[in-house]
Amino acid sequence: MTAHRAPATGISRRGFLVSAVVAGGFAVGFASPLSGAATRAASAAGQSAASVNTWIRIGTDESITVLVGSSEMGQGVYTSLPQLVAEELMVDWARVRAEAAPADPLFANPGTGAQLTGGSMSVRGYYTALRTAGAAARDMLRQAAANKFGVALADCVAANGVVSVRGTANSASYGQLAGLAAALPVPANPALTPASEFRLIGKPLQRLDVPDKTRGAAVYGIDVRVPGMQHAAVVHCPSVLGTLASAGPKPAGASAIVALSNAVVVVAATTWDAMQAARQLRPSWNIPAAAGNLTSETISSQASQLMKSATPVVAESVGNAPAAITGAARTIDVTYQVPYLPHAAMEPLSCTASVSAGQCELWAPTQAPGFAAAAAAAVCGISADKVTVHTTLLGGGLGRKFETDFVVQAVQAAKAVGTPVKLTWPREQDFGHDQYRPMALMRIRAGLSTSKTITGWWDRIVSPSILFQRGWIPAGANDSQATDGATELAYGISNRLVEYVRHPAAIPVGFWRSVGNSLNCFAVESAIDELALAAGADPIAFRLGMLSADPRSAAVLRAVAKAANWTSPPAAGRARGVALTRSFGSIVAQIAEVSSPSAGKIKVERVWCAVDCGQVVNPDIVEAQMQGGIVHGLSAAMWGRTTFERGVATPVNFDDYKVTRMRDMPIIAVTILASSQPPGGVGEPGVPPIAPAVANAWARLTGTRKRSLPLQ
Amino acid sequence: MATLNVNGQKHVLSASPSMPLLWALRDVLGLTGTKYGCGIGECGACTVLVDGSTERSCDLTIADASESSVTTIEGLSPTGAHPVQQAWIAEQVPQCGYCQSGMILAAVRLLRSHPKPTDAQIDAAMSNICVCGTYQRVRAAIHRAAGQ
Repeated sequence: MTAHRAPATGISRRGFLVSAVVAGGFAVGFASPLSGAATRAASAAGQSAASVNTWIRIGTDESITVLVGSSEMGQGVYTSLPQLVAEELMVDWARVRAEAAPADPLFANPGTGAQLTGGSMSVRGYYTALRTAGAAARDMLRQAAANKFGVALADCVAANGVVSVRGTANSASYGQLAGLAAALPVPANPALTPASEFRLIGKPLQRLDVPDKTRGAAVYGIDVRVPGMQHAAVVHCPSVLGTLASAGPKPAGASAIVALSNAVVVVAATTWDAMQAARQLRPSWNIPAAAGNLTSETISSQASQLMKSATPVVAESVGNAPAAITGAARTIDVTYQVPYLPHAAMEPLSCTASVSAGQCELWAPTQAPGFAAAAAAAVCGISADKVTVHTTLLGGGLGRKFETDFVVQAVQAAKAVGTPVKLTWPREQDFGHDQYRPMALMRIRAGLSTSKTITGWWDRIVSPSILFQRGWIPAGANDSQATDGATELAYGISNRLVEYVRHPAAIPVGFWRSVGNSLNCFAVESAIDELALAAGADPIAFRLGMLSADPRSAAVLRAVAKAANWTSPPAAGRARGVALTRSFGSIVAQIAEVSSPSAGKIKVERVWCAVDCGQVVNPDIVEAQMQGGIVHGLSAAMWGRTTFERGVATPVNFDDYKVTRMRDMPIIAVTILASSQPPGGVGEPGVPPIAPAVANAWARLTGTRKRSLPLQ
Repeated sequence: MATLNVNGQKHVLSASPSMPLLWALRDVLGLTGTKYGCGIGECGACTVLVDGSTERSCDLTIADASESSVTTIEGLSPTGAHPVQQAWIAEQVPQCGYCQSGMILAAVRLLRSHPKPTDAQIDAAMSNICVCGTYQRVRAAIHRAAGQ
């Protein structure tokens, strides 16, 4: 497609609204000055630069293509984000397609200012921007019809991809109007549809990506094939701290080996040949003495020592918690522990790179295309705008595909061998060289008054710092990721102290679905349950008693209690536990019902989940994310753990790493509360409550409190 | 030289007969709907039908499969209209979707042997891993397909 005219621009909140005629269609969106990457992507696609810097393309075939700035990793953004555009654009859902946006600051999430998929921010961040883009396009199409038929704008009604002139037989389709519309000025503040008139927002529309995913036609990073491509596998130093001394000779079956700082990439004709050759590799490694300390037992003892003697950073302080606890009628002093966790996304890490003079092209299942471009640019010694990123579907992300280690390796290999290279991490490398969810030790001291309310709450967290390891915060600063879920609790407690101590262990740590909430919700909601028991109170009534200032959380708790029929006792041999999280702009409560088929064995029979995620965009996707969050959280709660021996991780494959399978599945029931509040996140907040809900149920069933994960 | 019969088509391959079927399908024949997940027959992402039975294609060599008829997800139905695929769409099963080729083929095999499977039969037959946690919808889709 070729542009026929320069963009017409109008000022918008975030930059310029740009429209352009493209052969066969019309495009509109918010644009910032063009970046090189977008320009080149545009040329590659045969389109004008202006046409690519858009959210929406309207084809003469009446197709509506929405460019999605977030990565699709299962959470449904290739549906929920186009749904926002389609609502305002007044088009049939059947005509809408999703397409990955290029890596360009233009497509940054307005909620974060970056093109990153994480923090359950996609719908939250793009909600207004995409609706505004859809509404602007709709009004330009209406104005085009007004001009075409010589009538007033107010008489032009847009519906189902057609503009009709009120009181006449005149009408024109969007495809017919697209060229005319593109010549018009872009309205800066188009009217958005009131919630009472939503046709698509709030409806369980079918996902746009599902049909391809049932036919084997969906293309993930690992499926990319480009002309002249070779395949590659990687072998890292077994210890996470080691570096490469010598790669050794090139094994038979390899076309090349590429020595990297802490790994060797083996290049061959197929992935299998590369994996086989990688097994024959005989590299030697430099393993520093410090690796000797990277053993799980040592790390745990260090954590206990730090808990006792380190000077903490204050993450939150209200009133005087230590004094309130000292003066309390009854106190608890309990310590919880969670282990390092791998991500274990179903699609192992993979990236395809092509490097030529002054240019780099990437095909990557990445949660952070801009980071990938910057990392590739650094390897190639070029500027990031010379890197084109094709964001593929992700076979799960879970926070791991935010990282760029696998991208850098693919670029290094492609640069070294002179052909495009698709790098695939063998599963053992994926498990063994993760950037793990940090371990944590959490001591909670709390006091109850004679009236059985919590008078003081003191939570001290010892955990490695994701942000410090990356150099994003200085030593001695609070890591807000580590304390997320421990601060700003929903409960009204007048004396609170939350402290953080950074554990210095050098195991690489990273963002794992729900991040700090995955550890803190377990400790906090277990401790609240212990306090309810100590007070002789019903766990839901006890929580509700502290939620008078947070009616939304109270409503979620009541909804889950009602769904589970909480006040009626479960069947003999079963018990229930509850937990609540307020995270990522949403509130989720879960009740787990457990049994014990044999001594010490936990079976989770049922889970009820209630969620208030504000304005719901697609309730079927919200339900799926709650179901998925529960299953993912349950795998971690029951069995998940990576242990280290002198910096070497185990387990390294699914034979030794148990996750929930069909036979382990509880029956899950999800209740979504109606809300007109701004949208909240749904990808992550389903994860945190399941671990404490199960632990609390187990404590009720057996009288035994489990304070360490995994539970089994 | 080895031969494979995949989705009704005969292929002569120059790859080593000891190459796992998974990689022959993906890297030699370009049938990337069959996924690599673990390489040790644990996760089920690489499930294909070999003479109608489910096999983990990472655990089978080209030589093992050379006399057989192999069906991959691409060959289940030319248009995606197989009742199991349609049930998967109706129940909106996939999230990331990476495991779903294997899940669907495992369900197809289950329904051939048990046209009206019980939940216990589903538990026993569906050993594939889905990290997204779509199991409840997989179960619903199998029951839906069984009802057709």
